[in-house]
Amino acid sequence: MSEVSCHTPPTITADSNPFRNGLWRQNPVFVMVLGMCPTLAITNSVRNAVSMGLATTFVMVCSYGLISMIRRLIPKQVRIATYIAVLATAVTVVDYLVKAISIPIYVALGAYIPLIVSNCLTLERAEAYAGKQPVIKSMLDGLGMGFGFTIALTMLGAVREVLGAGTFLGVHLFGANFEPWVLFLLPPGGFISLAMWLLFFAWWKERGAKRELAKAA
Amino acid sequence: MSPVPPPGRPQAPGFRMVRLLGTVSLVCGILIVGTNLATSNRIRQNQEIIMRNSVAELLPGIRKQIVYGVEASGELKILPGIEAEGKRLIAGYDAGGKFLGVVIEASERGYADVISAMYAYSPEKREIVGFKVIDMRETPGLGDKVRGDPEFAKNFQGLDTRHPITVVKHGTKKSASEIDAISGATISSRAVGRMLEKSVEDMTPVVLKNLDRIERGN
Repeated sequence: MSEVSCHTPPTITADSNPFRNGLWRQNPVFVMVLGMCPTLAITNSVRNAVSMGLATTFVMVCSYGLISMIRRLIPKQVRIATYIAVLATAVTVVDYLVKAISIPIYVALGAYIPLIVSNCLTLERAEAYAGKQPVIKSMLDGLGMGFGFTIALTMLGAVREVLGAGTFLGVHLFGANFEPWVLFLLPPGGFISLAMWLLFFAWWKERGAKRELAKAA
Repeated sequence: MSPVPPPGRPQAPGFRMVRLLGTVSLVCGILIVGTNLATSNRIRQNQEIIMRNSVAELLPGIRKQIVYGVEASGELKILPGIEAEGKRLIAGYDAGGKFLGVVIEASERGYADVISAMYAYSPEKREIVGFKVIDMRETPGLGDKVRGDPEFAKNFQGLDTRHPITVVKHGTKKSASEIDAISGATISSRAVGRMLEKSVEDMTPVVLKNLDRIERGN
C-alpha cells in the first residue's frame, strides 16, 4: 500500500492564502483524499498521528523550498524523478537528525519516518504547487498542507484510540470495565473511521450549501 | 499526474536531463553523506545511552558493568564497551561490587518484523528477572503491548528457566515457566516466548560454566 500511486485530485478551488488552503479548503485527507497510506496505517493512536503529521510537515516544508528554488532548471520530463530524489533526501536527513537529536522522538517515530517518502501527498503538492510557485509560497503551502494533514490524522487517531483502546494520549478514559473495541485499532477501523469523518464533512458541506440556497431565495 | 505540461518549459534535450538529474543526485548524495557523517557519532552515543539505560532498568541498583563477548568455544572475553559487535552478555554489579545478574540480548521474528529485546538473568535463582523490548514494529495497540503492558511484564519477574519456557493462552498461566500471552497479540507473545527459550538454551550454559569468573568480575 506504500506505492507512490497518485490519482488526480478533484478540482476544488484553492484558497488564495497558501497556508490556509491546506488547512481547510484543500485539506489533504478530508478534501483531496491523498496520502491514504499513513492516514490509515498509523492513526491508531493520537500520539502516532501527531508525530507522523509533524514529521511529514517538516519534510514538506524543506523539500518544497528546495524544489521551488530549482523549479526553472528542471526539464518537465524528469520533474517527477527530481521531486522524488529531493523528497527522499529530505526524509533521510530528517531520519538521521531525529536519531541524533532526540531518543524519545526516535523511539516514537522511528518506524514511520521512512514512510513519508512514499506518501502520495508529498509528491502531489510538489507537482501541483512547489514546481510552479515561488519559494516562500511553496514553503507556506507545505506548512499548511502539513498542518492540515496533522489535524486530520489527529482527528482519526482520536476516534480510533478512544474507541479501540479506551484511552486518549495513553490516559485511560473509562473505568476498568470498559471493553475496548479492538476492531478500531486494526486496519478495518481505519477505513471505518475515515469513512465516518468523510461522511460528516460531506453532510456539513451539504448543509452549508442548502443554507446558502435558502438565504439566496 | 497532470497531463498538461507546465507552460514555459520547452522540450529539453537528453543532455540537459542527464545533467540535471546527475547534479540533483550528486547534491542529494552529498547532503545525505554529510548528515550521516555529522550525526553518526551522536547516533552511536544515543544508542549506547539507550543500551545503558535498558541495562540499568533491568538490573536495579547496578553501579558497574562488564561486557563479555562470547566466543564460539563458549569462552568469555572482556570487551572494551557496550558498542562492540557480536554475541555478548553484560554482567552487572552493585556499589559494593556484588554480582547482581547478567543482561542478555535476544531477538526473534514477531508479527511484523524482528522483535529485539534484552532480559536480565539471575544465575542464582535460575530465573529471568526482567525483560525489555528494545526495538519492534508490532501492530500498534495490539502486538506492541509486548513493550509496556504491565500485566505482560509481570511474567518476567521470576520466570523459571529450569523448565522449557512456554507461552499459554491469556489467563491460563499455571507454572513459573509459563508466559501468559497478551490477548489479541498471540503471535507477538509467542515470539517473545520463543526468543527467550532459544536464548536461555544458548546462553545460560555459558553463564553457569563461567559463573565464578563473572562473579569475581574478571
